[in-house]
Amino acid sequence: MRVTVVRRVKPLPLGNVLIPSLSIIIGVLLASLVLYLLMNIPPSQFFTYVGEGFVSLETLRDFILLTILGTALIISFKGAVWNIGAEGQIAMGMLAAAYIALFTNLSSSPVLGKIMMVVLALILGGAWGLIAGILKAYLSIDEVASTLIMNYVAYYILNYLVRGPWKGKHTYGYIRTDLIPESVYFSTLPIRGITITYEEILLLVITLVFAYVLLYKTALGVRIRILGSNPEALKAAGVNVKLLTITLLTISGAISGMVGAAQLAGYLHRISYPIETHTPYLGYTAILVAWLSMLDLRAVPIIAFIIGSLNQAGRLLQIAGVGGIAVTYLFIGTILVTFTILRVFSEYRIKLIRG
Amino acid sequence: MNNIVLKVKNLTKRFPGVTALDNVSFELRYGEIHGLLGENGAGKSTLVKILYGIYTPDSGEIFIDGRKVVITSPIDALKHGLALISQNPQLIDKLTIAENLMLGLTRLGLMTPIRRIYGKLKELSEELGIEVDPNIEVWKLSYTQKQLVEILKALLLGAKVLMIDEATTFLPSNEKRRFYEFLRKFTLEGGSVILITHKIREALEVSDRITVLRLGKVVGTVRPNEVSIDEVRMMMFGERIKEISYYTEEQIKASVRDKVVLEVRDLWVLGDHGTYAVRGVSFNIHRGEILGIAGIAGNGQNELAQSIMGLRKVVRGRIVIDGHDVTNKDTVKVRELGVGYIPDSPLKHGIAPDGSIEDNIAMLPCIAKGIVRWSYVRSLAKKLISEYDIVTPSTKTPMKLLSGGNIMKVLVSRELSIAKKLLVAYNPTRALDEATAVKVRKMIKRKALEEGTAVLLISEDLDEVLQLSDYVAVMNSGKIVSLIPKERIVREEVEKLMVVK
Amino acid sequence: MDTIIQSILAIAPAFTAYYLTALGHGFFEKSGVLNLAIDGVFYLSVAVAYASAVYMGNPYIAILISALTASIFGILLAFIVTKLPISHGAAGLSLMFLSYGLGALIGNPAVFRFREIKMTNIEFSINIPRTPLTNVALFMVSIVACLALLYILKGTKLGAAIRASGEDPHAASALGIDVLKIRLLAGAIGYALIGIGAAIFELVWLPTWQQMHGMGHGWIAFAISLSSGRHPVLTMLTSTAFATLLTYQYLLQAAYNLSPEIAKMTPFIAAIAAMTIFMVTPLRRKLSPPLSLGKIFFKEERTL
Repeated sequence: MRVTVVRRVKPLPLGNVLIPSLSIIIGVLLASLVLYLLMNIPPSQFFTYVGEGFVSLETLRDFILLTILGTALIISFKGAVWNIGAEGQIAMGMLAAAYIALFTNLSSSPVLGKIMMVVLALILGGAWGLIAGILKAYLSIDEVASTLIMNYVAYYILNYLVRGPWKGKHTYGYIRTDLIPESVYFSTLPIRGITITYEEILLLVITLVFAYVLLYKTALGVRIRILGSNPEALKAAGVNVKLLTITLLTISGAISGMVGAAQLAGYLHRISYPIETHTPYLGYTAILVAWLSMLDLRAVPIIAFIIGSLNQAGRLLQIAGVGGIAVTYLFIGTILVTFTILRVFSEYRIKLIRG
Repeated sequence: MNNIVLKVKNLTKRFPGVTALDNVSFELRYGEIHGLLGENGAGKSTLVKILYGIYTPDSGEIFIDGRKVVITSPIDALKHGLALISQNPQLIDKLTIAENLMLGLTRLGLMTPIRRIYGKLKELSEELGIEVDPNIEVWKLSYTQKQLVEILKALLLGAKVLMIDEATTFLPSNEKRRFYEFLRKFTLEGGSVILITHKIREALEVSDRITVLRLGKVVGTVRPNEVSIDEVRMMMFGERIKEISYYTEEQIKASVRDKVVLEVRDLWVLGDHGTYAVRGVSFNIHRGEILGIAGIAGNGQNELAQSIMGLRKVVRGRIVIDGHDVTNKDTVKVRELGVGYIPDSPLKHGIAPDGSIEDNIAMLPCIAKGIVRWSYVRSLAKKLISEYDIVTPSTKTPMKLLSGGNIMKVLVSRELSIAKKLLVAYNPTRALDEATAVKVRKMIKRKALEEGTAVLLISEDLDEVLQLSDYVAVMNSGKIVSLIPKERIVREEVEKLMVVK
Repeated sequence: MDTIIQSILAIAPAFTAYYLTALGHGFFEKSGVLNLAIDGVFYLSVAVAYASAVYMGNPYIAILISALTASIFGILLAFIVTKLPISHGAAGLSLMFLSYGLGALIGNPAVFRFREIKMTNIEFSINIPRTPLTNVALFMVSIVACLALLYILKGTKLGAAIRASGEDPHAASALGIDVLKIRLLAGAIGYALIGIGAAIFELVWLPTWQQMHGMGHGWIAFAISLSSGRHPVLTMLTSTAFATLLTYQYLLQAAYNLSPEIAKMTPFIAAIAAMTIFMVTPLRRKLSPPLSLGKIFFKEERTL
């Protein structure tokens, strides 16, 4: 009796809903198991925190940012261009925004300052993606390796600046930049406990509309989707695939950069050293969001909310003494491992052959 | 039964839409070179791939030395002494010859030093009459040398049956002779050979017996000294299909053929194995003219079409479309000139399986730029669907859910509607039912006559080529061996030119 | 003269840590598996090494346990991506995140235990002392590993099979190789080395532990391996360069005002530069990635 894996003729019905849901459920269960075995945290306690995460107001922040990021990554992923560099692009966006805010006069004007912060963040984030795009299009360098590496380069650039030329004057011994001028703070919603801002909601809406129009109303969008299905057909049809790849990484990077600006202006208000420990790893979590959404734009907000809640649950667990980011990593890991394996079943099925 | 090394009984193999082998029975004797002849799609390759464990038959039995066997993989086949040598050497470029060959020696453990087989290799290569440095990396070898290494590998693994699948097609003639000398030596020592080729003369010269397949069935087994080339040709191609007329005489006279749309001059294009697939091809196609290229697949037709479309590098020569030199220019430029392209493998180069019909239409730059007018795309899709009877639940269904025939219809209809100056069509009616095939051919002819589109028609269906073309070129071994205007075509001559070498 | 030797020997811990990790990573990737789990499993192995040393009181056993743990993950990754048609990148990143989580959850409690022990036994330490002898031993270990892997890769059937699986697993399969078995072996051996490298990182070079300790250093080894074309001997040179940079970063910082961030960035910039150079020069042949690296190996019956 042999067990073989055979391609499906028709895709699994409701696979797009079933597989992410199962992955999340099984992943969370596995995470609670690990936490119980390693840290003696009773599952009941874990699930209470998970539940709290879902209703916590702070979750909304992750929700908004992850939706924007997930959308940005889906644009790239739909073309089968794997932008793993959102972390670095966010960092570069933060750098750009910090530059405008701290070192130019533009920060005195609220409207112009904020716009310029976002614009420069789009440019720098886009440039970061552009580099990886050029490496892939003209040198066939795998974008996964290059974007990953560039994440670290971005971290180090920022850390260097924060420790050196950008070190704040009023920092009371901490290594970080000064607070950005209040004039360019994003405006928080006037609800107690909430950390999201009007500007971020605006950016969210703009991003969603942009992504929808791009992917479904423009020729570029058609080409992106075909690129992800069969690049050879696209080439034979007369489309410049190299240019397309570069464009994808640039757009994806630009939007990610924008999130960096939002994070700075809307929440952190300063950059602290070392940067890796102070960004909630949005860039990597966003990959999870994009994948779990099965590259469907409509699913992104839902998945972003769920993952954001889990993130928040992790933070709450930290307050209880377990090391929040560790829990986040744990469930990203368990969900992703489950998902990667279950995903196989949407396109393949197990066949038993006798003899 | 002692002198039969391999016997195949009632072997049947079906693929979606086509029966590749239909109740085929076949016997191979010890010490014989057995030629297997047939047209494209006759089933020759499928037969040996089943024997080599790459495919599994739907029904039928295989006997080796009188014992029934089941072959599930190439490793299995090798254990039974069957080795397949195909047109594409299955060697790993970055590894040395010795390393490549060592991989198949399952008796040797993983920690066995490579040096261990140097002695045996030397012995075998001396027998073969060639010099082989076991330490050379395979990428440095010429195509011929790689094929020789393949044989070396088969010998090393103790093969007693060599199945040669069109492996001599790209060999220069002096090396081909040596190859056949070696095969003869091999059989004298008790080995057997199944030699697949479509070149009748070669087969007649070298084989002890010849079996001809047509459309998956065995037509007959004969001895070379008992048949003529023409009789074998008859067996391979069968009866002529009734001619269908696609035009009237008046229509031909009325169409103007003044301007040259496609000019190809002394074209040399490399194939995938480092040898030239297209060797100095030249021809012109005028406005409204159809040039048909007949020939068995693998003689350079695909490489020719790809080079015209900018998908393959031209080493020497010129391609000029509508006065513009497009040699080695990007596909983008070629398409901009109004060129339609029906590629060889539609699923690989023609359409995107995850996209819908609408997507596959809208991806063409000539249809959609900037904002897509989906209403226009949809109406175009609907037009194509109704005109060609494409079966699909909607215009938004992903292409991969459609049957092979319908996918082909989408591709062909799309290209026919956008081709303005030139249409390059490779097997445009493959996988289509007869009714649609006729419709497509009518459309192609109409485009040429009424719209003045020049057509380069490359087809493995000889009838199609003969019925549609104004001129017929026969492509053999990368060259155009003949260019005949329609009035002077004699079918048997064309067939001969296709297969004689 | 003595101080020169001492200075060279001083880089031994950093060098060995990065070198063994990069060596194991390159060895594994040669079999065709894109190894994106490296940073995660490195981090996990660091934590495991720390925890084992704390709980067992013996750093040498800790090295063994670390190697074994890493090996298991290597086998797991090799299995998933070869048996199932799964994207290597997805599988690797999944394991990376999982390992990040597990590592933190293993390390954190160990820190508490460590402090507990320290209260009663102030002499307790988990690290292997850095003496000239240990430094020499570390160099020896690295050289032995290099020679061993070099021999396997170039001189044995196993090495040929590994490289074949990386270049063209379908051809390798047709030639008679069980690609799955080969990749499992490559994963076990490669990741065992990664585990040892991580243990050295923790127990000899930087014997502390806090939650982020070791994160990112797997990527440094990844970059080192990439820059050296995954060649065992070249990897030594690159590892030496970066180990020197990082061991003396404080000295260099004082002397040349070289910030540690710049120091840490160099392996990554070098990796990108190296990848570029490999692609455009004839070096491509020898040092380019295995042709089928990261490609999904899935046998489907082909239709006509």
